[in-house]
Amino acid sequence: MLLANLLNPKTILHLDGEYSKEEVYRLLLGRICQKQELPECGEELLTKIIKRDQESSTAYPTGIAIPHIRVEGFQDTIIGMAFLKQPVAYNGSMINWIALVISNISSTSLYLNLVASLLKISKDAALVQSLINMEDGSAVVQHFKKLEIQIKKEVTIADIMISDPVSITRNAKLSELIDILNNRRISFVPVVDEENNYLGVVNVLSLLKVGVPDYLMMLDNLSFLRSYEPLEKLLQEQTEISVGEIMKNGVSFLKPDTSIPEAVFEMIHKKMRFFCVVDEAGKLVGVVTAMDILRKVIKA
Amino acid sequence: MALMIIALVIFGITYILIITEWINKMLAAMMGGFAIILTGIVHQKVAFAAIDWNVIFFLIGMMMVISVMRQTGLFMYLAIKIAKLAKGRPLPIMVWMFLLTTVVSAFLGSVTTIMILVPIVLLVASELKISPIPFIITMVIGSNGGGAATMIGDPPNILIGSATHYNFLDFILNLTPPVVMITIASIGIIWLLYRKGMKVSNESRARLMSYSEKNLIKSKFLLVASLIVLGLMIIALSLQAIIHIETATVAMTAGLFLLFISDRKKVEHIMANEIDWVTIFFFMGLFMIVESLVETGFIDMIAGSVMYITKGEPKSTSMVILWLSSLFSAVIDNVPFVAAMIPVLEKLGVLIGDSKAMDPVWWSLALGTCLGGNGTLIGASANIVAVGIANRNGFHISFKEFTKIGAIFALLATVISTFYILFRYYGGF
Repeated sequence: MLLANLLNPKTILHLDGEYSKEEVYRLLLGRICQKQELPECGEELLTKIIKRDQESSTAYPTGIAIPHIRVEGFQDTIIGMAFLKQPVAYNGSMINWIALVISNISSTSLYLNLVASLLKISKDAALVQSLINMEDGSAVVQHFKKLEIQIKKEVTIADIMISDPVSITRNAKLSELIDILNNRRISFVPVVDEENNYLGVVNVLSLLKVGVPDYLMMLDNLSFLRSYEPLEKLLQEQTEISVGEIMKNGVSFLKPDTSIPEAVFEMIHKKMRFFCVVDEAGKLVGVVTAMDILRKVIKA
Repeated sequence: MALMIIALVIFGITYILIITEWINKMLAAMMGGFAIILTGIVHQKVAFAAIDWNVIFFLIGMMMVISVMRQTGLFMYLAIKIAKLAKGRPLPIMVWMFLLTTVVSAFLGSVTTIMILVPIVLLVASELKISPIPFIITMVIGSNGGGAATMIGDPPNILIGSATHYNFLDFILNLTPPVVMITIASIGIIWLLYRKGMKVSNESRARLMSYSEKNLIKSKFLLVASLIVLGLMIIALSLQAIIHIETATVAMTAGLFLLFISDRKKVEHIMANEIDWVTIFFFMGLFMIVESLVETGFIDMIAGSVMYITKGEPKSTSMVILWLSSLFSAVIDNVPFVAAMIPVLEKLGVLIGDSKAMDPVWWSLALGTCLGGNGTLIGASANIVAVGIANRNGFHISFKEFTKIGAIFALLATVISTFYILFRYYGGF
């Protein structure tokens, strides 16, 4: 999707003079409400935007601010832009480009992509300067069109994964594994070799299974048993058994460029609540969990 | 003649692969089965017709019945009840577990019984802090003995029952008496072998006594229903001579009914996971291969030579078959052995011409193959399964260790069977 196609030249402002950010928002919102039909508009919406701004900063160090508001019942995404000859201060950083995004409650991936693409443009200071110096909105849109600025098609798991995750080697003892799981409150750890090559996964169930002999697993149920001694085996042997003996080898993983729907599909299909992320060279680069997807995508 | 040689080569290679398990047993049997069709020895139609569907559907039906019965928790309940009734004393537990395994095997089959009961014995032994190995070995011996007692207990008997006109009741009347004698004698041997040396602390005993086995019976309805179905099934099988319903139909009716009344969501799980399709296809392959030997006339040749050696005299034929099958079953899997022996005995029946005279010969085959399986570690499927479970739990049972005990029981069983056959059918030596 081209960025230019999402923009309306009439909602792009070039402002020269001293404005506060609230004034910029009011001007932008006024223009947007004039051109688009929104379920709600005016002061009410403005208050929401400002309130949201106070909750967490929408400014980025590159000089762009991207305030965002979700409007219930609105089935579209609108972007208003203001280019400022004289920057405004946003909790310390100087902002010369404000892009106000109004979207519906659910279109998260477009929003995330939009932010990513605007951020990328804002890193090019010369480009931003030339945008500020343009005379009107249509020139900006034309310029974006000419540059063929794409909104990245999909967010990949590389964008939402936990990078440089904690990992463990095959030779580590169970006591070390127990510490990692316990201190970090996680239920699994990727296993790698000395060169960070992905080998597999060790999880808390494999660990507990050390104390549960095979024959117990063969019983149809254990409801007759209240206490059981061999569970103590785990405590006694934690410094002797190594991770390599209990880990799962060849656990399937995802590549960094996997899309979110594919990751969700794989999780449901394989009944896994997490995946390791492994690059082309076989190195562990991250971990993505179902909760990450919930937190960073659904609730973003 | 050329066809017979090709058939023998395929048969030989297949049986070597099955016995040595260089490749998966089922794969070997199926490959052999289709090789005889590919080489044109047997037409596909004939090969498929050789599959004994009565055996196949009986196995499937029983597997359904067993999978539902397992859900009831009855067998675990009985095993733990026994350990508690024995007050945690090792020798009584061993004897009662031996008896329980024998009885359950007679109706559910030896392999299933071992798979249900051995894990419990491992648990009990671990609580009592004694070695489970003597328990496992004696239970395996019990399972092979119990399997010999009925038509549905052990795969060789299922094959024999389906191939002959003998029904469930005939098996009980002819095979249960010697098995009872063998079981009593075996308990004597267990007492001699293990009466000393197993000491248990009061603390361990108390822990065992705190098991609450009542929790195991999750659904009284399913338990009562499946016991009624099992009872009806055995009655129907016993009345076969009157009601003329084949074994497979009885088992399938019971199995389908139990599936029908159990949890609907579990039906697919049971069909996919609890039915042992590998075993089913193994049997199919065996039927096809053996057919190639029948078609090419090799079986006739073998039967002819047995006739020549025994002069068609039933008494000596019985003895040869009993000891031969006991020896063979001790060292090779008894299922392929019986599959090949059945057509030989059928041909012998034709040659002797008196079907009544063949009765003791068939019973000799059944006793020899089932009980000979105790002889060595690899003699029967139950042995291999039990030793596999023990190994996975860190109790290594070597070939020698098993055979040392197993051979005593196999020899005892074969000697008792010899006396039984001679006195019951031939009035003495």
